[in-house]
Amino acid sequence: MQVKVYALSTCPYCRMAKRYLDDGSVDYELTEVDKLEGQEKDDAIAEVRRISGGASFPVVVVGDEVIVGFNKKRIKELLDL
Amino acid sequence: MSDGSVRRRFEPGTTIGDLKKYMEPFALRLGYRFNDDEEFVAEVLGAEIEILDETGDVYCPCRVRTGDPKEDIKIVCPCIPFYADEFAKLQKCWCGLFVRTDVRDGSALHGVIEAPTAGQAEVPVALLAEFPPGTLRTVRIGKREIALARIGDEFFALGNVCRHAFGPLGQGFLDGYYAICPWHGWRFDVRDGTTDHPGADVATYPTSVRDGYVFVTV
Repeated sequence: MQVKVYALSTCPYCRMAKRYLDDGSVDYELTEVDKLEGQEKDDAIAEVRRISGGASFPVVVVGDEVIVGFNKKRIKELLDL
Repeated sequence: MSDGSVRRRFEPGTTIGDLKKYMEPFALRLGYRFNDDEEFVAEVLGAEIEILDETGDVYCPCRVRTGDPKEDIKIVCPCIPFYADEFAKLQKCWCGLFVRTDVRDGSALHGVIEAPTAGQAEVPVALLAEFPPGTLRTVRIGKREIALARIGDEFFALGNVCRHAFGPLGQGFLDGYYAICPWHGWRFDVRDGTTDHPGADVATYPTSVRDGYVFVTV
């Protein structure tokens, strides 16, 4: 299942989410939104708003499910960790 | 400021201790305190100091700055007033830096954040000690303004906007169980929001008091 993580480099929950996925050896595509610049950053924020309805992080996308915040239980269920 | 620059609220070299001291009284008035997990608090405030050095203010490390000042002001820490009902349901701010004062073990909450569920939220709005009998005042829950009244030991919450000319009821005065609008003197019964004028009643909200705080359920 395809996994995407939208994160901020400053956000403790983003670090926890990444660590959790790393510990479970999950491959995921990481976008650190605050590290982007210009149009790329605007596009990433727009995408996060579109899929999550806000601009709060982390946003973890597992298949077609969007999880806002670090919800370990839900990630575990979806990825069978 | 004539040159249009933003006045810095924090001097260069601001420490985690400085931020804690600065934020604590604001948070307490909103019904929140720092998370019990001190290491986690230091991690979040450390991130805020990095952001402060870069931007000049303490923006939330878990939300993104857009560059639009009207939007970005809503994520200056503590951002609790802008998300009062959402955080009341989470029992903490988005980051978990602050937890509600009525949470017993804040460290148990910081590991998980989930989008809050729909439904009502009991939101702390005032310190009991700062709300003596006879007080009528406007409190805010997110975008909502509420007139909060104390009559004896009873608390009443009602819509803040007078239906006559939109005067702020919370800035009016009390006469028995009536809140009197400061603009033209319309009277609203604080117990049920009714007024003498047909179709002009205001909403009322349940209130409760515990642990030194007044709560309104919205």
